Amino acid sequence: MKPAPFEYFAPETAEEALALMAEHGVEARPLAGGQSLVPLINMRMAQPSVLIDLNRCPELAYLRGEDGMLVSGPMTRQRELELSETVRAACPLIAKAMPYMGHATIRNRGTAGGSLSHADPSAELPGVALALGAEMIAGGPNGRRTVPATEFFFAELTTALEPDEMLCEIRFPEAPAGSRAAFAEVGSHFGGLALVGVAAQIDLDSAGRCTKAALAATGAGERPTRLSSTEAVLTGEVLEKQSIAEAAEAAAGDVEPLEDLHATAHWRRRAAVAMAARVLHEIADEAGTR
Amino acid sequence: MTARREVRVTVNGRAYARNVEPRMLLVDFLRHECGLTGTHVGCAHGVCGACTIVLDGVSVRSCLTFAVQAEGKEITTVEGLADGESLTALQQAFHENHALQCGYCTPGFLMSLTEFLRETPNPDEGQIRERLSGNLCRCTGYANIVSAVQMAAQRLREKGGVS
Amino acid sequence: MSVPGDTRGTGTWVGRTVPRKEDLRLLRGMGTYIDDVPEPRGTLHLAVLRSPYAHARIRTIETAEAEALDGVVAVVTGTEVAELIPPFAGDYEKPGFKMSHRPALATDTVRFVGDGVALVLAENAYIAEDALGLVFVDYEQLPAVSDVEEALKADAPRVHEELADNVLIEGGNRTEGFDEVFEAADHILRERFRINRVAGVAMEPRGCLAVYEKSDDAVTLWTGTQVPHMLRIGIARYLGWPESRVRVAAPDVGGGFGPKMYLYPEELLAVAMAREYRCPVKWIEDRLEDFLTTFQARDHVYDVAVAYDDDGTVRAVEVDVAVNSGAYSNYPMGASLEPFQGPLNMPGPYRFRQFAFTCRGVATHTCPTGAFRGVSAPCVTMAMEGMMDRIARHLGLDRVEVRRRNLVRPDEFPYVNVVNQFYVTGSYVECMDRALEMVDYGGYLAARPPERLVDGKYRGIGIAVVTELGGHGAARYKARGLPDLPGFDTAHVELEPNGRVRATTSFSSQGQGHETTFAQIIADELGVSIDDVAIRGGDTGNSPFGTGTFASRGAVVGGGAVMRASGDLRERIKKFAAHLLEASPDDIVLEGGYAHVQGVREMHVSLYDVARAAYGLTESMQLPEGEEFGLQAIATYDPPASSISNACHIACVGVDAATGLVEVERYVVVHDCGRVVNPLLVKGQIQGGVAQGLGQALFEEILYDAEGQMLSATLMDYMIPTALDVPTLEMEHIESPATDNIGGFKGAGEGGVIGALPAIACAVGDALAPLGANVNRLPLRPDTVLGLIEGAEA
Ligand SMILES: Cc1cc2nc3c(=O)[nH]c(=O)nc-3n(C[C@H](O)[C@H](O)[C@H](O)COP(=O)(O)OP(=O)(O)OC[C@H]3O[C@@H](n4cnc5c(N)ncnc54)[C@H](O)[C@@H]3O)c2cc1C
Ligand code: FES
Ligand code: FES
Repeated sequence: MKPAPFEYFAPETAEEALALMAEHGVEARPLAGGQSLVPLINMRMAQPSVLIDLNRCPELAYLRGEDGMLVSGPMTRQRELELSETVRAACPLIAKAMPYMGHATIRNRGTAGGSLSHADPSAELPGVALALGAEMIAGGPNGRRTVPATEFFFAELTTALEPDEMLCEIRFPEAPAGSRAAFAEVGSHFGGLALVGVAAQIDLDSAGRCTKAALAATGAGERPTRLSSTEAVLTGEVLEKQSIAEAAEAAAGDVEPLEDLHATAHWRRRAAVAMAARVLHEIADEAGTR
Repeated sequence: MTARREVRVTVNGRAYARNVEPRMLLVDFLRHECGLTGTHVGCAHGVCGACTIVLDGVSVRSCLTFAVQAEGKEITTVEGLADGESLTALQQAFHENHALQCGYCTPGFLMSLTEFLRETPNPDEGQIRERLSGNLCRCTGYANIVSAVQMAAQRLREKGGVS
Repeated sequence: MSVPGDTRGTGTWVGRTVPRKEDLRLLRGMGTYIDDVPEPRGTLHLAVLRSPYAHARIRTIETAEAEALDGVVAVVTGTEVAELIPPFAGDYEKPGFKMSHRPALATDTVRFVGDGVALVLAENAYIAEDALGLVFVDYEQLPAVSDVEEALKADAPRVHEELADNVLIEGGNRTEGFDEVFEAADHILRERFRINRVAGVAMEPRGCLAVYEKSDDAVTLWTGTQVPHMLRIGIARYLGWPESRVRVAAPDVGGGFGPKMYLYPEELLAVAMAREYRCPVKWIEDRLEDFLTTFQARDHVYDVAVAYDDDGTVRAVEVDVAVNSGAYSNYPMGASLEPFQGPLNMPGPYRFRQFAFTCRGVATHTCPTGAFRGVSAPCVTMAMEGMMDRIARHLGLDRVEVRRRNLVRPDEFPYVNVVNQFYVTGSYVECMDRALEMVDYGGYLAARPPERLVDGKYRGIGIAVVTELGGHGAARYKARGLPDLPGFDTAHVELEPNGRVRATTSFSSQGQGHETTFAQIIADELGVSIDDVAIRGGDTGNSPFGTGTFASRGAVVGGGAVMRASGDLRERIKKFAAHLLEASPDDIVLEGGYAHVQGVREMHVSLYDVARAAYGLTESMQLPEGEEFGLQAIATYDPPASSISNACHIACVGVDAATGLVEVERYVVVHDCGRVVNPLLVKGQIQGGVAQGLGQALFEEILYDAEGQMLSATLMDYMIPTALDVPTLEMEHIESPATDNIGGFKGAGEGGVIGALPAIACAVGDALAPLGANVNRLPLRPDTVLGLIEGAEA
């Protein structure tokens, strides 16, 4: 488990980084937190011949509010998303989901952009991005383009990014007043790899009725999955035992899980239902509608 | 082989400069170039935490970092914790609570927990276990590590200082 | 003149909670694990090219490209290695055994994914791995079999062509009159238990550094092993060298648990290459290799039948054991270990008098298997305790009552059980009763609703009464036909010229704390502080011969040897002190670093002065008549049989009804390992053992597909318990000292894991009992458990 040789560049600006990506094309990989890429490199399952280390580009790490959007740089550390007051206020769902992502030491290093670009189907942040309707700003030789989260995640470890493109910015719509968020996940044991999760942001009117529901499941398909049927059942309803049970059960039809070494497809489907129920109960409890 | 690069780092207050290949992992650099073998390799794929060090003030996995990435930075390893003969409050609590058996995982736990206690001076058991879950120990079953953290946290609070 | 460590009045050390001496270096990062041993100049790094196929013929190997790589010194194939290292065997010819051989590197056939086919020697580990990618092997893939039951079929692919079938070893026995008693019982219950293959996953992978010693034409092998002396015997034998040319030394070892008590091909390769290339050769295993090649365990199937009466009394038990032995049998334990340990451990604390067993060790195209903490005991105990619960359910009796009726009772000790295990002392009923009290069994049952569902979780409680056989002496190993396990251990204790004590033992330590426990024993024998006792071991170059560290031998056999040697030394010290004090040796008391005359404390001499006299470091001659210079003693200890600890484990679990995820919410242990040297360390052993058992019970599993590809070769895929999985045990001790061994100690290393499998499996079984779910296979992963819940609901 020793990396194969590679050429290493440590650009200091985004522009330099993009130029290097354009120059080296498919041979090159950007190196963000390295928490997913380096294990693959150590096992020689990935052998990029050029690594473009983004860690020395301070301009790629930022967080700010802008026109109703929470805007994050790709190199913003996951630990910062977890602890930032700005994030907690603007997008509580992110703050709630972050602690589930790996461990503090992993989040110290792992980045927003790295997680989204890596697109592990059971990763939390892609699920959150999908639920929130985030926008990904991709930069490449032909400039920048905006890709909505719904079109960003293709399949396991595959996104809409072209090989010479870099994820340059992520824009999360701020949560409307009165909305509530929750995240839940389950693995085959405690504290280890998570298998299936559900992220939810529910807008409630003053009567506690759901005006808009946004839910996405992780680990229940080859990419994060929007739970549209659950959303449809919930919209217009007060979150209480019956409506939650129906809505959660509807998630079973939305997901298309695959079987792997850790769990059967059937279990992943049931786990998605269970997690949907769990987040909705949490929201109902918080809102006092149950 | 690719062109070597100069890496200059400060580890536990001492400066080191070496020429290494970009692919050299930071953990190998610390162990084999600097001779600081207290940082261990348990998996080299990020899961076990035995290689945890502090890089520019935050805990990181040194098996998931390349030595070249540490150029110009400050590192603390387990060898840099104790001040001469006196153990830190955390090390002392590990000792008194029998929080280590084979000791292979221990440096990683100490590095992660030193950061934790600074950030969370008054942790509850749930927070401690959550933090511990980022490091694997095959010997102890964790109970004594939990007690050690509780003891260290209490003593540090009483002392009103940092470790 | 300073007097070393005056610790007058500190009392006895054995039995006290003493923090460990070894901690102080380990906590500072000053331990020396295998990869920390300083590399001599010119060290070459060895890497092994491993087969990607479970079963294949090697047609050709192309090494030229790898050899041409900068920094590569040599590429050596299996055929070339065979000239230096003959195939080695884990077993001897004997009835019921089939001999199989393992070449250090495969020559023409690979038999599991990970089997070595060539090695690279290079200037560093990075280049060595680069070179592996440039060795090209042309394989002819052959049909493979990974499952033990498949491997038993008549048309199964054969793992060793020269053998008639895949059964490496088989055996069995039936007590006289078994059939009549079995038939006559009121009821018979049958069940099949399928246990999961697991890996030891010591946090430190294996590794070794073979240093060529030019002047002696010898090799020093530093290696992370539990058994340095056994390795030296094996290496010398297989390389055909005199033992004087091989020194095996274990530095700090980052966890053993059994898999590190074997001779591995890489160790032979490193030694042979160091000699061949006349330079140091180092091999450090990575985690992938660890999962692929470090011996695994517990891939077993048990078919159990229990005959019992209306009152729950078990009359007769029959078991058939099939063990997946993997591709090869291993030195020094052979393929017999797991198959025979199952039946041997099955009766456990129970008193039934009729027992029949058959067992087989079956070769498959998978990683070899062998010892892992507790060997087969966790599995058979799960089967036995599972049957106790089934009997209770079937008869409508309480589980505790069924157990009580069958446990060896307090007034029955010493007791010889149905498989001839000699239970000198024990506390089976007492431990169970105390554990039930601690957990408030009655209260638990009363509070639980009939459907057992509370807050979305099915709640269950599992009880396991367990025995732990350990600290086996020579007679046990001879009875089992294991020639390369001597059974005894040795300690050499000396009072050094400056009055401090140094002891070397035949043990090496993987975290058990021998530096502290042995020091406690010696401190009591010699009346000194443990701070003045240094324990060394694990190096055949300077520690006496013995068996090594496994099977909970530490306190019983190692402690026994240390106690005998320090007892002998004590008598010699008394003679010297008596001479200096002009008293009789019989009146001398050793205490607090001094020797004084009984009842007359003023008449004393420090051990420092005694040592000076004994080593001739005095102005005048102070040797007592008839005594020789020096103060040292060496002693071996061979315990009479096995020591048998016991415990009761109770687990309370919550099974999430929606996901099947099992949480162990409470865990109680009452444990009896005889006289306890250091309660802190015993508790640590049990807590750690339970954690390993919990992992196996709930989620750990090495998975192979039907073609023999391993699916779980990283820590992402093979998960071990974290701090969020394992509760803090509530633990108490009962002490029934062994009366047939020197210290009264019994083993404590394995009981934790032995109890955890049955306690947790039974708890899940109990939680799901109202649904009619049958818990008879591990691990109880969420998807499996959800399947049980849904299957039962359907
Ligand atoms: C022990 C452990 C546990 C973990 N647990 C979890 C978990 O529970 N949940 C979870 O979601 N993740 C988990 N991770 C993964 C972790 O969150 C990673 O941080 C994350 O998946 C990748 O982020 P990174 O910044 O480390 O990216 P890297 O590893 O550096 O990169 C990942 C991939 O993205 C590419 N990339 C990175 N940045 C960009 C960019 N700006 N533009 C284009 N491509 C880019 C890289 O080239 C690479 O292919 C875990 C990792 C470890 C080691
Ligand atoms: S060695 Fe770095 S996490 Fe295991
Ligand atoms: S003490 Fe051995 S792995 Fe933690």
